[in-house]
Amino acid sequence: MAGSALKRLMAEYKQLTLNPPEGIIAGPVNEENFFEWEALIMGPEGTCFEGGIFPARLTFPSDYPLSPPKMKFTCEIFHPNIYPDGRVCISILHAPGDDPMGYETSAERWSPVQSVEKILLSVVSMLAEPNDESAANVDAAKTWREDKTKFQEVAERTVRKSLGL
Amino acid sequence: MKAFLITGASFLLSGMVLFNAYYQKKQFYPSVVYITKSNPSMAVLYLQAFVFIVLLGKVMRKIFFGQLRAAETEHLIEKSWYAVTETCLAFTVFRDDFSPRFVAMFTFLLFLKCFHWLAEDRVDYMERSPVISLIFHSRVLSLLSSLAVVDLYFINHAYYSTLLRGASVQLVFGFEYAILLTVVFMTLFKYILHSIDLQSINPWESKAVYLLYTELFMGLIRVILYIFFMFIMIKVHTFPLFAVRPMYLAMRSFKKALHDVIMSRRAIRNMNTLYPDATAEDLASSDNVCIICREEMDTNCKKLPCNHIFHTSCLRTWFQRQQTCPTCRMDVLRLPRPAPTPPAPPAQPQQPPPFPQAFQQFQYGWLPQHQQAPAAAPPSGSTSSASTTTTPSTTTPLSSPGTMGAPPPFIPPMMPPNSFMPFVYPQPPSSMSGLSREDLLNMEGEERQNIEARIHWLRDIQSLLDGAMLLINQYNTVASQMR
Repeated sequence: MAGSALKRLMAEYKQLTLNPPEGIIAGPVNEENFFEWEALIMGPEGTCFEGGIFPARLTFPSDYPLSPPKMKFTCEIFHPNIYPDGRVCISILHAPGDDPMGYETSAERWSPVQSVEKILLSVVSMLAEPNDESAANVDAAKTWREDKTKFQEVAERTVRKSLGL
Repeated sequence: MKAFLITGASFLLSGMVLFNAYYQKKQFYPSVVYITKSNPSMAVLYLQAFVFIVLLGKVMRKIFFGQLRAAETEHLIEKSWYAVTETCLAFTVFRDDFSPRFVAMFTFLLFLKCFHWLAEDRVDYMERSPVISLIFHSRVLSLLSSLAVVDLYFINHAYYSTLLRGASVQLVFGFEYAILLTVVFMTLFKYILHSIDLQSINPWESKAVYLLYTELFMGLIRVILYIFFMFIMIKVHTFPLFAVRPMYLAMRSFKKALHDVIMSRRAIRNMNTLYPDATAEDLASSDNVCIICREEMDTNCKKLPCNHIFHTSCLRTWFQRQQTCPTCRMDVLRLPRPAPTPPAPPAQPQQPPPFPQAFQQFQYGWLPQHQQAPAAAPPSGSTSSASTTTTPSTTTPLSSPGTMGAPPPFIPPMMPPNSFMPFVYPQPPSSMSGLSREDLLNMEGEERQNIEARIHWLRDIQSLLDGAMLLINQYNTVASQMR
């Protein structure tokens, strides 16, 4: 058998397929490479992303779980904490050393205790409650703060787009 | 599609050139002369040569790698751009002996470099895939051995040509191939380690350590090579601008490897001396899964002062990055932190003497002081549950500002007589008691001396706090041994 990173990813995959959390599907893109995952995230109910299904890609480093994976939405999504190119900016995806936004305490950063499931659940809660304090997409943060109806419109458009409508 | 068109066009053009030459001159030798004299024909033929080398690359790739993965292609393109830029820079240094042969040699070097990078990526991939086929092994082995042979040949060639004809551009080639050879060795070593790892069911724990040391060693060789090369180049030619970036990268990675090795050594030492092995009861009382690798724990586990249990090997790899508990993020290095003033206090004893009496003496030494300074301050936020009973009594007299006027007599009662804990207590402040009016006045104002006075007192307070921390830790250790 191979490295500990691979073993752990396999264990997490098994766990995720056995009891998948609601609204989340995730797994390796192909079973020969467990370090590239694809995830589908359902927009949380009662938010402007409700009904959307957003595909994302997770890329794991070879020293996972010591370093965090990277997550990137592969669809268009307009959200204060998601860069225009789809990269997700949440604190648990940041290694404790670096602090791109300069505000996170190390307590909310990555540690091996985190897992794919926890990351995806935090992304779902991030979709529900954007944090406009630390914007990755400044336009989205501004719209979210100042013009909720417009944000709603854009979000609904991305939802429709994510469904291929 | 585009590549296909270019290839087709190139073949067509060179066919036309050859046909034209032969048509005009009718014989082999005059046609060759005609072609070499004609610039357009030569341009077409150079293009053709380039197309040939790309095709050759594709064939070799097919043989040695099969389909490239997206990440590999990405790395390849990224690195190639840098390499091309550096090659162009190198051309400027050697513009005097610029010739087609020279360009061809650089192209071939670039070509080989690509294969070295791909081999590195491929071997790294071994850790990522659950299925490694036999064909993978044969491909990697044959690729690495042929690369090593080619590198050696070129080093040899460069060496003799430098000996015979003096320093020339061959110096650069010899050096570049030497660097590539270190890459081959590194890759080969990684491959061997990964292969050994693949043989066993459980992850091989000491692989990471071996990898670290190889990286350190190879990094050192690379840095030496680069410095040597720089030195020679400056003496013989000019400053080799094209080697600056790779040299910087080599130095950085060497520094990183060195740092990693130091961290890893420290982590291992801490593992061995500071944290007790988890007992069977410990394992039974927790949920028995190592949070780092998500596997069951049976043997070889360590318990941190915060009572969290992990596999020894998992914990070690984590401590190389960070000295905190993965679960609660308690800073574990606070435990053995040496006091600021004394020089190099000895590490924690591995075998404490029978502690009950020691502990009693320890406490008796403290009690009177506790009564002396009954100022009740809340316990500082100690995360360790084991120490909560003793923590307030130690922190209170030291950290609360109320005691500034009447500090406890420090040294003698604190140190247990039988050298229970060979910590050296930080030097107590010079005199905290007589804070005269003059002293206080001295601290007011913005002059240098005022600030110095303030800093002086802050330092004293700092060392008091450090002392308090040390004591807490001692209590902690005692408490954990009692349990």
